[in-house]
Amino acid sequence: MAPSTIRGFDEYLQSLPPITFQRLYQQPATALAIFRRMLPSLAKIFVTTLLYNDRPIPLAELQSWVRTESYREREDAFSKLRRLHITQERAGNVSIDPIFKKNFRLALTGGGDHHSFGVPVDASDDRKKVSISTLDNYAANQFDCILHYMVEPSGQRQPNPGVKILLITSGLMKQSERGHQPKITQAGFSFILQEGNAQIWALLIQYLEMCESLQMEKTEVLHFLLMLGSLELGQAYSTATLTQTQIKVLADLKDYGVVYQRKSMPDRFYPTRLATTLTSDVTGLRSTAASFTQALVAAGPVAPPSEAAGESGFIIIETNYRVYAYTNNPLSIAILDLFCKLGSRFPNLVTAKLTRASIQRAIANGITADQIIDYLKVHAHPVMRKNVLILPPTVVDQIRLWQIEGERMKTTPGFLFKDFASEWDFQDTARYAEELGILAWKDSKRRLMFATRTEQIVDYLKRRGEQQAVGRKV
Amino acid sequence: MPPKRKAPGASVGPKRSRTGTPAATPAASIGSEDDYSDSSGDEVAEEDMSRVINKFSITGHENVDAVATKKVDAASKFFVKRGRDNTHLQLKLGHASRPLWINPDGTIILESFNPLASRAQEFLTTIAEPQSRPQYLHEYKITAHSLYAAVASAGLTPEDLLGTLERFSKIAVPKTIAQFIKDTTESYGKIKLVLKDNRYFIESKDPQMLQKLLTDQEIGPLRLQEVVKEKAPQRGQLVIPGTKEAAGLKQAPNQPRVPNANAQNTEGGQQGTTDDLFTSITGIKEDEEGDDDEDEDTVHSFEISAESVETVQKRCFTLGFPISEEYAFRDDTKNPDLNIDLRPHARIRSYQEVSLNKMFGNGRAKSGIIVLPCGAGKTLVGISAGCTIKKSIVVLATSAMSVVQWAQQFKTWSNIDPDQIATFTSENKTAFKGDAGIIVSTYSMVTQTRGRSHDSEKMMQFLMGREWGLLILDEVHVVPAAMFRKVLTSINSHAKLGLTATLLREDDKVSDLNFLIGPKLYEANWMELAELGHIAKVQCAEVWCPMSPEFYTAYLNEPDARKKTLHYIMNPRKFQACQFLIDHHEKRGDKIIVFSDNVYALKAYALKLKKAFIYGETPQQERMRILENFQLNDQVNTIFLSKIGDTSLDLPEATCLIQISSHYGSRRQEAQRLGRILRAKRRNDEGFNAFFYSLVSKDTSEMYYSSKRQAFLVDQGYAFKVITHLQGIENLPGLAYSTLAERKELLEEVMLQNAEAGGQEKDDFDNATGLSYNANRRGAKNRRTKGKLSELSGGNTMAYMERNKSKNKDLKKSQFFKKLNRETERRKKEQLEMLKG
Amino acid sequence: MPRVNKGVLVECDPSIKAILLKIDQDAGHAYIIEDLDESTLVVKEQKLADLKHQLDAVLRKTSMQEREEESSGDDDGDF
Repeated sequence: MAPSTIRGFDEYLQSLPPITFQRLYQQPATALAIFRRMLPSLAKIFVTTLLYNDRPIPLAELQSWVRTESYREREDAFSKLRRLHITQERAGNVSIDPIFKKNFRLALTGGGDHHSFGVPVDASDDRKKVSISTLDNYAANQFDCILHYMVEPSGQRQPNPGVKILLITSGLMKQSERGHQPKITQAGFSFILQEGNAQIWALLIQYLEMCESLQMEKTEVLHFLLMLGSLELGQAYSTATLTQTQIKVLADLKDYGVVYQRKSMPDRFYPTRLATTLTSDVTGLRSTAASFTQALVAAGPVAPPSEAAGESGFIIIETNYRVYAYTNNPLSIAILDLFCKLGSRFPNLVTAKLTRASIQRAIANGITADQIIDYLKVHAHPVMRKNVLILPPTVVDQIRLWQIEGERMKTTPGFLFKDFASEWDFQDTARYAEELGILAWKDSKRRLMFATRTEQIVDYLKRRGEQQAVGRKV
Repeated sequence: MPPKRKAPGASVGPKRSRTGTPAATPAASIGSEDDYSDSSGDEVAEEDMSRVINKFSITGHENVDAVATKKVDAASKFFVKRGRDNTHLQLKLGHASRPLWINPDGTIILESFNPLASRAQEFLTTIAEPQSRPQYLHEYKITAHSLYAAVASAGLTPEDLLGTLERFSKIAVPKTIAQFIKDTTESYGKIKLVLKDNRYFIESKDPQMLQKLLTDQEIGPLRLQEVVKEKAPQRGQLVIPGTKEAAGLKQAPNQPRVPNANAQNTEGGQQGTTDDLFTSITGIKEDEEGDDDEDEDTVHSFEISAESVETVQKRCFTLGFPISEEYAFRDDTKNPDLNIDLRPHARIRSYQEVSLNKMFGNGRAKSGIIVLPCGAGKTLVGISAGCTIKKSIVVLATSAMSVVQWAQQFKTWSNIDPDQIATFTSENKTAFKGDAGIIVSTYSMVTQTRGRSHDSEKMMQFLMGREWGLLILDEVHVVPAAMFRKVLTSINSHAKLGLTATLLREDDKVSDLNFLIGPKLYEANWMELAELGHIAKVQCAEVWCPMSPEFYTAYLNEPDARKKTLHYIMNPRKFQACQFLIDHHEKRGDKIIVFSDNVYALKAYALKLKKAFIYGETPQQERMRILENFQLNDQVNTIFLSKIGDTSLDLPEATCLIQISSHYGSRRQEAQRLGRILRAKRRNDEGFNAFFYSLVSKDTSEMYYSSKRQAFLVDQGYAFKVITHLQGIENLPGLAYSTLAERKELLEEVMLQNAEAGGQEKDDFDNATGLSYNANRRGAKNRRTKGKLSELSGGNTMAYMERNKSKNKDLKKSQFFKKLNRETERRKKEQLEMLKG
Repeated sequence: MPRVNKGVLVECDPSIKAILLKIDQDAGHAYIIEDLDESTLVVKEQKLADLKHQLDAVLRKTSMQEREEESSGDDDGDF
């Protein structure tokens, strides 16, 4: 699940100009975070190999480490390193960006006075100790409040104005008419159904996008966000080393539940679980979701003892498409309403049904079948977890089929390539696209192909052209 | 437990409570499914019935419950419709250990993984209608009918009922439900019609009730004697043959019997632990609940004459106190006993025993309906009932074929003298010998009034001229109510037992049966029986066949609805799917039945694939021959059946079903067809699965009907897998219609058919008599009902080109068959010898 | 360099494609960029929603699903 949760951030990073990367890599914590979070494992091996090598290594040599059948992974790794400006290629040799190299080494070995991993504060003199469960509850409440507001803008719990503005500028909600409550958009619907960590990232990326219009230095914000991931849960950190911009960011992140701060102690802040798992791996994410639900259950007014004890799931789905949700949480119910036909409600149970109409309504709102299935799976009741597949396979199939049926045609946005110069031109390009896994359709006779992306192919064709030009010169 | 149940005396009379709460909110009639719209039938009786049923509804008491305690939050807006928001119903202490929620609309949700679930399930099947029983959460619904059954058959008092509900429920029982149960049970099951010493008695536990009847101007004068008081009937020494009890009794005949030892121990060892849990939660010991405080029970009765029985029954209906019937067969000295007992090898299964216990619970025979899935041994239940009562029996089945099977089963399972069992069909019209015996016939034979032959007339007089101990009505759900009425007036029987797999009719006429035959006594849980290996496990699949472009274009352009139908049934891709599946399953060693309602398609498919087929006009002899070949000849592994094969065809060899055309959205037909493979012989082989495929043409109305059809089975817990592509179908050698030219040729043929070819075979009932079916009658009988094409006949009117040789004829000539005949004869003899010895 | 056209690859049953071609034809070829094979074609991205809408309308006419769904879609009886 890791790739999907960070996809948004990945794309965001790759859209940044090279100059921003130069600034980003000046902080060891950032270099480390990007290494840990953004690179596929093969790319990590390349980086560690190059890191303590002072001379560039021939590309061909690196390539030879990888078996030919893993061509695709190899190309992916190089492509990623290039686009994140971690490696540089000159005359067939590869080397690591010097700034990245210097600061990544610092991050690994320690030293320097960069403070990029935060400055811990001894909080033992605090009168009121901030426990991890306080932090979890705080985070859950703040984030729940945001989600709830999106589903129910006129509800009792309203987030701070900053959050509301963010939701609207990010397109998750839309101000339909002046004086009216904003409404959730398609993007908002699919946001709601995402897994917790993905939601945080999505929100933070929107925040990054918004920074520029607020005249905040983007790299400082990024530094701060990526630093958060390296902090320790339950530890207090000093605000003294933060820049003006970062102090502003801190205030906003409080609203999202990412950090916690006491009014009486403005000189320190606590990262919540939302922060500390930002750049960790998949297992970290799971525990976030689980501890979260736990916090939510504990916070609810009626906590059924049997279900609350360490169990995170609350949804039962039957082969006859009936849905039973052991919940009294209005947010959970509102989310179910996005794709179910709700039936009746008891103090600790809600009955509902998946119907063709309810699924197709959800799909029309921009929610995908996979999101619904993931949501049901993540929140499946413990009795369903005893099944290998958790959800009844016929229901999963049917949800997908309803989606397909609603669309009646499978659509893949992309690009049609035509008018190839020669048979060889077509075959070579098609082969390259196929190896990258972006070829959707081809017809050799008519020399037509359809690919889901162009950049890499265009890159490739350019390089191929250059090589051919070089070859001709020689 | 917050709402304490009221003492019996404190309850208010039904009239006052109903007028006391004006119908401010329109009644969410609990019997909304009891929508009577039968225009043809016996109007007066039906009106009365519907009044009786609809009198009771869950009304606006909810306001009392609600008293602003509903939780109001952001999710409240989703449940504004009446009856949706039940947050005011307080969770009880220890709710996690209690298994149910009760909705004020009568729906009950059961947590099947709760430790008390099996206890609760047993209780719920007695008082409510099962709605859905998949894996985790089951739904039941309390209806006027279900309560009638609970009161009449299980003899539960309102207090038992409410108390038990309260104990099982996680939340406070809604006041609407409590009131509904009180209102309903106050009237239902209070009065019984008892035939005892050949005299009819109106009996009740409540003397005031009888007084009320006696003051009625119609009933009063019909009384023959003063009201008498006596001890309530007890089960006493009655032992149902075939049960464990019966076996135990034989081993130790001198041991004293424990009265009322109801053998409802299907849960086995689990019982002990749940008992403890139950007691600890409810503070009530097992022995304290139940209805058998026999010492205190007394009943009051007055006698009426046989002639006035019907009048009294009708009048009681009108008054709102439907009469239930019981037969004190052990005291019946007038009717001669039938010498019948189950054979020693016959053992009935636990659920069959439970169902029979409900019928004979108090030592008398209660009339009613037992619902068991096909293949779960309905016949044996009927035979066991007959062996318990030991009086003359009439069995009515839906077709001549199943008449033969019933008679056969009686001979197999019981020691009945073959001379004492007779069949009454168009072929056979001789009565049994002796005073008592068994007659097996069809509904049509006994209701058909015109054009009876001399022999038939004589048989009818025989049937009508005597009293019968038991009337077994097979497949009750398919028989029209009017037909039942005819049967019941002409056959004078003391007890009636309806058998069916699905108490389900698309026209919702099922509720008629509750009054014509009796309440539902038992309904089995399909998944449970499958888990226990009593019926086969089935993999269900819906195969989506895209329409081939030519057929689809023609389908889109075809104005006639019936011909449209023909396009999607004859879709070449569907044909290919059928061919592929047959090939695949024959190779696996399966025996396959292909069902098609449409006779044109039935023949076209069967001839093209060179398989045998049976439909309404196939002569009886040919049918038997084909079926025997299917059962015994390993060269004949696939047969095509029209809807005559839907019911009561016993083919335990079949392990795979393919459905190519069906009766629109009929849930019943779907369930019945599935039933054809539930008794698969190989069902207990390890990992055995039977297969049920439904082939539907994509983007046609067939898709829509298909989902409707599956609704019942899906609620029983069956999961239909959708198959969008059959792996390897392109590579099947000899795949039909694989060229455009062939498809176009087929399309031309299809387009040449007239609209009638797109219709379906007539309703089951028109050919219930099998061979005696008279082609001339059909034209006159065609009733056209709105949107229904089912009455249109198939076979005889179609232009049909017999280019392919019929497999049916092959079978006729086959030497194999002759040999086979001799073989089966020999085997039959051997079996008989064995049984005798 | 080959020519590159932005568009949406549409894969569907041949029967659906038959309907799409007819819609395109009736609209003066406003939707389809390239007809690829029996079950594939490329359509203009900005016209996709409109095309889907038109297809739904045709399909609704051919099956009775919609009518039934509307009538049973919100009934209380389901629960």
